Amino acid sequence: MSDMSGRRGVTTSGVRPGEDLLDDPVVRADRRRRLFAAMADAGVDALVLGRPADVAFATGARQLWTAGARPFGPLCVAVAATERTHLLSVWDDGVPPEVGHEDLFGLTWNPARLAAALSAIPGLADARRVGTTSSTPGFPRLLAGAAPGAEVVDGGAALWAARLPKSPAEVERIVAATAVAEGALAAMVAALRPGASERDLLAVYLERIAAAGAPTPPTDGVVCATPTTGPVALHRLARPEPIAAGQLVALDPGGFHRGYEGGVGRTRVAGGRITAAHGELAARTQHALAAVVAACRPGATGAEIAAAWTATGEPPPPVPLAHGVGLGMEPPVVTVVPDVGVGSGIGAGAVLAAGTVLAVTGWVAEPGVGGCLERDLVLVAEDGPQVLTTAPRGPGGEAT
Amino acid sequence: MTTVDGQPVPAVADRPRMRRERHAKLQDQLVAQGLDGLLLLTTSAVSYATGADAPATDSARAALQRPVAVVVAGAPRPHLFTPYPEGAPPELPADHVHLAVVPDLDDGAAVLAGALRELFGGAGGRLRLGADEVPHPLARALGPGIDVVPASSVLGPAKLCKTPDELACIRAAQHINELAMLDVAPLARPGNRQTDLTATFLRRIVELGAEGNGIDPIWQVMPASRAEGPWTVHGDVAFPLPTSPRILEEGDVVWVDSGIHVGGYASDFGRTWIVSDDPRPTPRQQAQFDRWRAVVDAVLARCKPGVSSLDLARAAVEADGGNRPWIEHFYLIHGVGTDSAEMPMVGTDLGEAFDERQVLAPGMVLVLEPVIWDDGAAGYRAEDIVAVTDDGWLPLSDHPYDPFAA
Repeated sequence: MSDMSGRRGVTTSGVRPGEDLLDDPVVRADRRRRLFAAMADAGVDALVLGRPADVAFATGARQLWTAGARPFGPLCVAVAATERTHLLSVWDDGVPPEVGHEDLFGLTWNPARLAAALSAIPGLADARRVGTTSSTPGFPRLLAGAAPGAEVVDGGAALWAARLPKSPAEVERIVAATAVAEGALAAMVAALRPGASERDLLAVYLERIAAAGAPTPPTDGVVCATPTTGPVALHRLARPEPIAAGQLVALDPGGFHRGYEGGVGRTRVAGGRITAAHGELAARTQHALAAVVAACRPGATGAEIAAAWTATGEPPPPVPLAHGVGLGMEPPVVTVVPDVGVGSGIGAGAVLAAGTVLAVTGWVAEPGVGGCLERDLVLVAEDGPQVLTTAPRGPGGEAT
Repeated sequence: MTTVDGQPVPAVADRPRMRRERHAKLQDQLVAQGLDGLLLLTTSAVSYATGADAPATDSARAALQRPVAVVVAGAPRPHLFTPYPEGAPPELPADHVHLAVVPDLDDGAAVLAGALRELFGGAGGRLRLGADEVPHPLARALGPGIDVVPASSVLGPAKLCKTPDELACIRAAQHINELAMLDVAPLARPGNRQTDLTATFLRRIVELGAEGNGIDPIWQVMPASRAEGPWTVHGDVAFPLPTSPRILEEGDVVWVDSGIHVGGYASDFGRTWIVSDDPRPTPRQQAQFDRWRAVVDAVLARCKPGVSSLDLARAAVEADGGNRPWIEHFYLIHGVGTDSAEMPMVGTDLGEAFDERQVLAPGMVLVLEPVIWDDGAAGYRAEDIVAVTDDGWLPLSDHPYDPFAA
């Protein structure tokens, strides 16, 4: 790479735009190495990436956060022959120097211009196999123009082979993000008093993570006050009704650090008066969750993880029992809920690689008491599971 | 009375009616396009087709915990597969609200494909569906019996002109966004960080009733000149840059941009602020605002059904003395709906021929976002929203331009 100094803009404050916010060059270089190694293993000459997290992994570029799933499109193209990553970005702000100006292509509304930009990517026209991480009905035709002789294949396996096993530096970032989440948990617990609503707690959560410098959330679904009478269901959309004393409230905040997600789930009782029934529900949750965590070992399958939960006798939780965590939510997704037409949860065949980080969620509900959710982040280390979350457990939480 | 297709815009949207009318539009378009149905995976499309609510999530989570919509041609209601059943519209029968599926993973895609075969069962022969995204696992699970074409052929025409209820949702979203900004604007002072503004904004939108935030709010400190950078592919100004804990300084010119959601509909707030304990624009800065105002006034003076987008773009250029008063990679005008930027777009690189063919009609929403760049003294940017009515336009935004004199 040529020296970029002098070609890059400098802001009025004298700081190179966005560069102080980029991740370390060593981390970026390691991720690129893993990406191109995985492409080589999969025999893929070029990989078209269309999700912000994929782009962050491949390039380290800061991107504008928007909520929700947007349609797949070519945000980044990695070319094996040149080991270059070509990025859809109008500017170089927040773009690491290893992605040069010549590697940027601009935003366009015009399909013909997008096709021309892809066609101009060195090496893409000669690709024999092009992987894409998703597709749309119109995308194969667009790609055929830029890589006329190429077979288009599923690039997901190569991408996840690179992304899923985390380096120690990536685990450090997940731990830092979990600290952001645990700070938000403490703020939510402090705001949890009878009369406050789920929406009040969501407001506190969002304010707290933004003030921590991590301005956007993994999800707004972070609080669920559970009923003390009747059936108990876990919901994720925050409600405006006041929470009553004695309600168990599931708090499930997340946070980001340098693009990596952390999180923690704990359940507290509003008003702080803890009954024996609360304690019993928490103990059941922790027992079942501990059984699942113990199963998170290299080589374990999703089926074995689900079986660890089922063996405790607790009913299937209505959320993924375990899912990958890294640059946001990742595979595998393991559920216990029997799905239509499958007869068991999904993710049964997934095999855990060492270095994977999982979010493991336990949920146990009891009519007349409420619901208890606990979520831990677990590193699937060579020598066994390592819990990364540290927040106190149980309905009394910080008080006990 | 100001009307859209003969109907007034209600103070509060009738959401069941809104969903019913959208479903009818989708059904009409399915017939027009000769499709058997829609298979929708992206957030804004699912929101449009079903009206289902879901918590705002980041894109990675949104891909693996997707609400999915299936619209069957001729059927009275859509089907919803969702991890958030509490967000399903109340009128949707229980047998139309299904467990979540994960179409991005093989076993999850198999579940969805199985459900599709049931929902379209009896059709025999090949199915032709409009789809917005087809992840590889879903393509494998669907097999060769299902042809997919872009769902935009159905969604585009359906979404282009809003019903009065849709307009009421956009206006409600914009109102919450604007109220929150009244509390954020005083924080644009030296020593505060950009993320401090974000913190207050996100707290306030939830307190005010927003159903979700759509974008990391922008508080971009603009350079005085293009040469100061950042470098861009086209040489025009870089915008919008993501927020950071950067500390604001006296005199910084800040371009603000945010969007939140109500009823699935996005707002779009844009203003220019000056960082100061006592913000006062210089005469040169006030002149930038006056140019912006002149452009907006010229566009609005021509805004009514039957006028082409090209007429609006030409009016904007003429009002700014021959300059093209918008950013190279954007537009003079874009629409807003369940997407934060959707058709009609005016002044894009789709070109003048496209703009000439695009003709204003009642119910279209126009987010006017001229940019006055005054190299050496930064520039002025703001966004105002109007709806095209039966005989003119109706404002959907209502916010002061402080500290500029309007």
